[in-house]
Amino acid sequence: MLLYSPEARALPVSLAAAGRPQKLDGLRIGFLDNTKAPVDRIMAYLSACLSERIPGITTFQISKQHPSLPAEPEVLQALAANADVVVNALGD
Amino acid sequence: MLLISTPFVALARSQSRTLGMASLPTVVLPHPIGGTTMDTIIPKLDAALPEIVAKLTQPLAAAASSTPAAQAQAQRVEVTGEDEWLDVQVAMMERGWGDGLPLVPPTQARVQAMLRYTDLAPTHVVGTLAPRMGAATVEHVAINAVMAGCRPQHMPLLVAAVQAMTRRELNLYGLQTTTHCVAPLMIVNGPLAERLRIHAKGTLFGPGPWDNGVVGRAIRLLLLNVGGGTPVEIDKATMGHPGKYTFCIAEHEAASPWPTLRAERGFDAATSTVTMIGGEAPHNINDHESTTAGGLLMMIAGTMAQTGQNNVYYAGEPLLLLSPEHAGTLAAEGYTKDDVRRALYDLARVPLRRFSAENIERRMYRKFPRRYKDRGLDVDVTIAQRWEDIMIAVAGGPGKHSMYVPTFGGTRAVTQAVLRAGGEPWRPEDFE
Repeated sequence: MLLYSPEARALPVSLAAAGRPQKLDGLRIGFLDNTKAPVDRIMAYLSACLSERIPGITTFQISKQHPSLPAEPEVLQALAANADVVVNALGD
Repeated sequence: MLLISTPFVALARSQSRTLGMASLPTVVLPHPIGGTTMDTIIPKLDAALPEIVAKLTQPLAAAASSTPAAQAQAQRVEVTGEDEWLDVQVAMMERGWGDGLPLVPPTQARVQAMLRYTDLAPTHVVGTLAPRMGAATVEHVAINAVMAGCRPQHMPLLVAAVQAMTRRELNLYGLQTTTHCVAPLMIVNGPLAERLRIHAKGTLFGPGPWDNGVVGRAIRLLLLNVGGGTPVEIDKATMGHPGKYTFCIAEHEAASPWPTLRAERGFDAATSTVTMIGGEAPHNINDHESTTAGGLLMMIAGTMAQTGQNNVYYAGEPLLLLSPEHAGTLAAEGYTKDDVRRALYDLARVPLRRFSAENIERRMYRKFPRRYKDRGLDVDVTIAQRWEDIMIAVAGGPGKHSMYVPTFGGTRAVTQAVLRAGGEPWRPEDFE
């Protein structure tokens, strides 16, 4: 029997990723809090740990409004303006 | 760089690929993270710290250039066997095509027949469904409709539902991937509901020999096969709910004393609509005793005012599905729909003291500091951000039972007209 597959693939998407730094020294580290419990505390802890270990870094933490909705444009703009690399989170 | 807890690895990788960032670095933390204290989380973070630093500085792998392109035409699969019915069922199940129940095999003849009630080309992309962002062509809609047991007459409803599910405000990505137990509830309004046998009266949520079941099931198959909401791997619902098999009803417009859902949303009497709502399983509201609007509203509000629903934490539009008799009790005292909304907004409240200290501190104060912080524990928590957000529809048969359908929260209901390719509405006389 010949069947039609019900599965559909995604339309192809490809984004150009920003270049990666070779080391974090002196860079601005961004932390995006997705507002899931307890991501704000996790990001604050990581921020403190990295500041202690890596010379000259500054950190920037910001929250989006809802964990399952995309970050608002102003949040993304703030991250782009204030961070060289960003740590994000997903899951429970 | 992305931090993930263990059960979410497949979802994270799938999303990275779909969104064009297949090489996004990830660091996996042992589950659970949520609902635990920092005392248990800090050792996990300390252990992961070297990897976090490494992943932030590691050159990215070259972007995958082999992302398979969407195909306008569905693939064909040959299945052979001795017991044809059983072998075909097994083959479809092994490919992960179904919902676990027997499927109607999507043969060429059945798919062609299903295309009878559409004036769109089979290769026309109706929309892309999250989280896979699979391109739902008209042919894909027809194939999944065949498998669910639909009739060709259902195609316009399904096309409209797919159009609705692509709208950003519904947040299909969230509905499909959350641990919350939610599914798109499809409410059909207008003259096509009765013509296409979408039942609005007694036992409308099932079972019954009408078409709610197969139409709702086709939506689920599209969410699985096109949207990629694979259970456990991508659909992270902790429990799921029965409406994830099928979740389709009609509003009982003739029994409503008020403007219907579609009228409230700006559609005329000749235009049928589908409304997609990110809903939990319905919760019954039993009130046989109240003969006054005030008494009935008190009982409804008491059922709606719960601490564990998403609507007290997030925005969203909780749905009240009133039985005709309950709606009649309210309307008999002159209540309009807006009067009912305002009354329920005022009555269906939960004192802050009924939330745990952790929830008060970490959710209510954090998300709504101006509303709750420094206002004592007797301050009321509402079930919607605004009274206008409480949705009301009328459905069901004789009896004193209504339904409360809390929603996902991060979602808004979407209403889509059931239209032909040229933009005019499908009408009952268009169908045999």
